[in-house]
Amino acid sequence: MTALTDVAPPRPPAATGVTRRRRRRMSTTARIAVVVVGLIVAVAVIGPFLVGDPNVGDTSRRLLAVGSPGHVFGTDGQGRDVLSRLVVGTRLSLLAGLVPVLFAAVLGTGLGMTAGLSGVWGHRTIMRTLDVFYAFPAVLLAIAIAAALGSGVSNSIIALAVILVPPVARVAETETRRLVDLDYMEAARASGASRGSIALRQVLPNVAPPVVVYCTALIGLSIVYAAGLSFLGLGVSPPTAEWGLMVSDHTQYIYSAPFLAAIPALAILIASVAFNVLGDGLRDLLDVRGEVRA
Amino acid sequence: MLGYIGKRLAMAIPILLGVSLVIFITIKIIPGDPIASLLGPTGTPESRAALESRMGLDRPLPVQYVAWLSHTVVGDFGTSIARRTDVAPMVLDALGNTLILTAAAAVLAIVLGVGIGVLTALRRNSLAARLGNAFALFSISVPQYSVGLLLIIYLAAGAGLFPVSGMYNPSSGGGVVDLFNHLILPAATAALVPAGIIARMFRSAVLDVMSQDFIEALHSRGLSRRRVMAHAFHNTVPSLLTVAGLQIGNLLGGVVFVEAVFAWPGIGLLVYQSITQRDLPVIQAGVLVSAFAFVMLNLLVDALHGLVDPRVRT
Repeated sequence: MTALTDVAPPRPPAATGVTRRRRRRMSTTARIAVVVVGLIVAVAVIGPFLVGDPNVGDTSRRLLAVGSPGHVFGTDGQGRDVLSRLVVGTRLSLLAGLVPVLFAAVLGTGLGMTAGLSGVWGHRTIMRTLDVFYAFPAVLLAIAIAAALGSGVSNSIIALAVILVPPVARVAETETRRLVDLDYMEAARASGASRGSIALRQVLPNVAPPVVVYCTALIGLSIVYAAGLSFLGLGVSPPTAEWGLMVSDHTQYIYSAPFLAAIPALAILIASVAFNVLGDGLRDLLDVRGEVRA
Repeated sequence: MLGYIGKRLAMAIPILLGVSLVIFITIKIIPGDPIASLLGPTGTPESRAALESRMGLDRPLPVQYVAWLSHTVVGDFGTSIARRTDVAPMVLDALGNTLILTAAAAVLAIVLGVGIGVLTALRRNSLAARLGNAFALFSISVPQYSVGLLLIIYLAAGAGLFPVSGMYNPSSGGGVVDLFNHLILPAATAALVPAGIIARMFRSAVLDVMSQDFIEALHSRGLSRRRVMAHAFHNTVPSLLTVAGLQIGNLLGGVVFVEAVFAWPGIGLLVYQSITQRDLPVIQAGVLVSAFAFVMLNLLVDALHGLVDPRVRT
């Protein structure tokens, strides 16, 4: 599984004082990713209305092969239709990955901007506290938090949000610190704008693009982590249809029906690749280039 | 240099204290009643009070924290609730096994990542570079638990090329060859993600260095391509060190899925099993020891970084 530090934080534009404004277009791969992400979201939204009940199974028809009549992706160990479970599971798998990133985006931007705009002590307190969370191997921390809170999708979301906030906050803080010394900020302060107004009108619009790019790249990772928590039994509980839980369910049949475990795994892979490519594409489009993290 | 290391070491202490506090609080909010599970169904309120007092659970939380911390710093992690043995040797054993897996995965990841990174940077439009880019993209997106399962299905159970799980074959009595055989599949699985990240980061580091003026200058002085590359590579070492260091650190925690799938007796598997058994002292010690190893590894990377790049020492 990827770790948080894998997603390269965006690099601020070159400090020449001139913003490069070149007309940029998304690469073909990135456009394909947009389409795939769109399809996944569409499946998540309308899919559950198009397929049958994912929890109804006929044990006389268990472990049917891929391509069986009426069951395109076969059936699982309890005779439930794998396609239905995959389609219905899209919603939860996607939400379990997206929501922690949304939380982290809001909270991380808030914390990062506060740290960047406050004095030495405020900055130190916030950033040193976040450093503590950096000192944990991220996956292990998520597992420990999810275990502490108990299984369930909301707890898995909280666990993932906790490990995603610090890196987002760092991106927002770096960007804010860069802005603070620029002339237009000086002008805003001189014109008597309040701190709140400076934060909202001058800082936020400039901090948002790199944070959005960074967070898009985090979504793929978050989907894989969320499914991983379910795989370990720390996310959603059976019989809910969710991709990670499906992988774990299907693992018992890896010898009799090896393809079964591969199907939800492929779904996780496709979603994760699509969001990662989309993140790369957005980074190129918005001209916030990734860099080796120091 | 010593001053720099000392400074980093001093910065690590408050972080480790914070880490211990987070772990302590996390454990305190774990649902379930450890006292009730220790006493069993026959426990009376009196025996409960006695046990609580013996374990120090009736004291205020800050006092409990200080007591726990003072034991922890001298390596006393208490007794496992599920296994009824000392936690320290169990956790250290598991950490050793995780480090073996991490080291093997790290070597694989660095070799693969650097190879692909250089290839994709220098032969940008070749087929090999495209394949390398695709590999890097897929490997960072892949769920490790699924890859591990697929490897088990096809290479271990199916083709019989490797053992399915564990660290040693109980009947063969162990040995380096046996360990190596058991290590290949989990290490390859764990190496995938860091290899992809190192490849992508190293590619941009090489491109960055190659676009700098001094490379142009070296070319214009008539240096051979090989000599120029040697200079370029020297300048990418700090970035490589940073990325590789972070990735090895992440492996420490990230291998938990791999350990769970391959039943590798490391710290991830130990923590995971202890969670299902509600064995709090083991969870506490496991996460603490991993975080400690993680912080120490970062310190080592910082020190090496300072060694190869004097600019960061200031």
